[in-house]
Amino acid sequence: MKNCDQFRELFEGYALGVLDAEERIALEAHLATGCSDCAKSVAEAHWLVSHLAYITPDSRPSEMIKGRLMQKVRAEARNPRSRGQSKTSVQFSLWAGVAALLLITLYSVWDAHQSKQQIRAAQGQAADAEAQLAVARIESAILIDPASVRVALSPLNSSGPKLDAAWHSQYGIVLTGQNVPVPAGNRVLQLWLIPNALDGKPIPSLTLRPDASGKFVLLISHPPKVAAETKALAITEEPPGGSLQPTTTPLWVGRVG
Amino acid sequence: MFLTAWTPIDDPAVSSDTALVHRLVQNDVSAFESLYDRHSPLVYALVLRILQNAGPAEEVVQDVFLQLWRNTAKYDASRGPFVSWLVALARNRALDALRRKGERQRRREDQVDELPSVAAAPQYEREIDQKRRIERVRSLMGELNPRQKMAIELAYFEGLSHTEIALALKEPLGTVKSWIRTGLMRLKEELQATT
Repeated sequence: MKNCDQFRELFEGYALGVLDAEERIALEAHLATGCSDCAKSVAEAHWLVSHLAYITPDSRPSEMIKGRLMQKVRAEARNPRSRGQSKTSVQFSLWAGVAALLLITLYSVWDAHQSKQQIRAAQGQAADAEAQLAVARIESAILIDPASVRVALSPLNSSGPKLDAAWHSQYGIVLTGQNVPVPAGNRVLQLWLIPNALDGKPIPSLTLRPDASGKFVLLISHPPKVAAETKALAITEEPPGGSLQPTTTPLWVGRVG
Repeated sequence: MFLTAWTPIDDPAVSSDTALVHRLVQNDVSAFESLYDRHSPLVYALVLRILQNAGPAEEVVQDVFLQLWRNTAKYDASRGPFVSWLVALARNRALDALRRKGERQRRREDQVDELPSVAAAPQYEREIDQKRRIERVRSLMGELNPRQKMAIELAYFEGLSHTEIALALKEPLGTVKSWIRTGLMRLKEELQATT
């Protein structure tokens, strides 16, 4: 505790990332001794600094990004093993009395860490591109295979555009649309599968938002039922994240088969 | 016909970040989508400001939210607000991307981990809603001396060190350190003052 005074003016600069190497390493060495008061102050400084993000006015990323992201997340949700590939975090055990050695060690670690991050980033980008390519291949396979069941979804409001779906027994459903009005606010369109059973309740499927030009392509990799067991497809407007039961009446409906 | 089973229900209530994160840990995709819809404008605005280019900014946003999905369990709700954690993650990723692309010559010493340090909110934080915080931060930054504001922005959005900022602004190092620290202290006081 008696050393804490010399670090008191560094907490905010540390959280902001502006400290020069000497100051930063000295503070990190002190934190590594287990000083809980300084650790708490640093955590509060991180919180304070995070408010600087509010300086910039809000701006929305394109809907395409959300579409891609949701496809990946849904794919990983279906296969939880692929989720959360935990990365090992490097634990530094530092001793306060070896400052000179620490300087050299930390610099080497930093240098190696930089290289690892670059490699990891490149691997991540390649994996993302590969995943997108795989999705595009599946979509093409469904659309061009004559065995796919075609479903035309007509708007219940006659002024809307028609949507098309192709249902492949092995690869899933591809739903496409053009000139589709974008739902207000953050609301989304959600696909429902209407089973053949007499009192069959709509089965919730994926949500989507068309891009600014009203276009979308949605891949449903694992529809819960095969086409023959489904009477129709329907689309409603739902709150963000979709619903377990429809909360509005359908905007589009198409009979299957 | 096939719409007879259609029984609309009321919209579900809006969940808190903490509740959504809890659901996210349970593999709930709709919770993820809600968090994305709620926070992606702030994350995107921050990343775009850092990278100044929509394409790379969108890639980073995608990466940030994938990290959120894959590492949710590493966020500890009892130790700080979710949005601070997410913002720190986004800033770290954007500054990494900036350095990787070599768009600027910089020698900012790296303190970035896989995930950001815990951002602990002091007691008073819980009583301020986000809108009021945004207004307060923007208002305060508008009141700062323009050079002081620029020093803070160079630090936060460009990842420059004290020394680099002093060189960029052609100001003494001590002046830059003082500007940044007093600016942040004013922000802290401002946030505390209204509780």
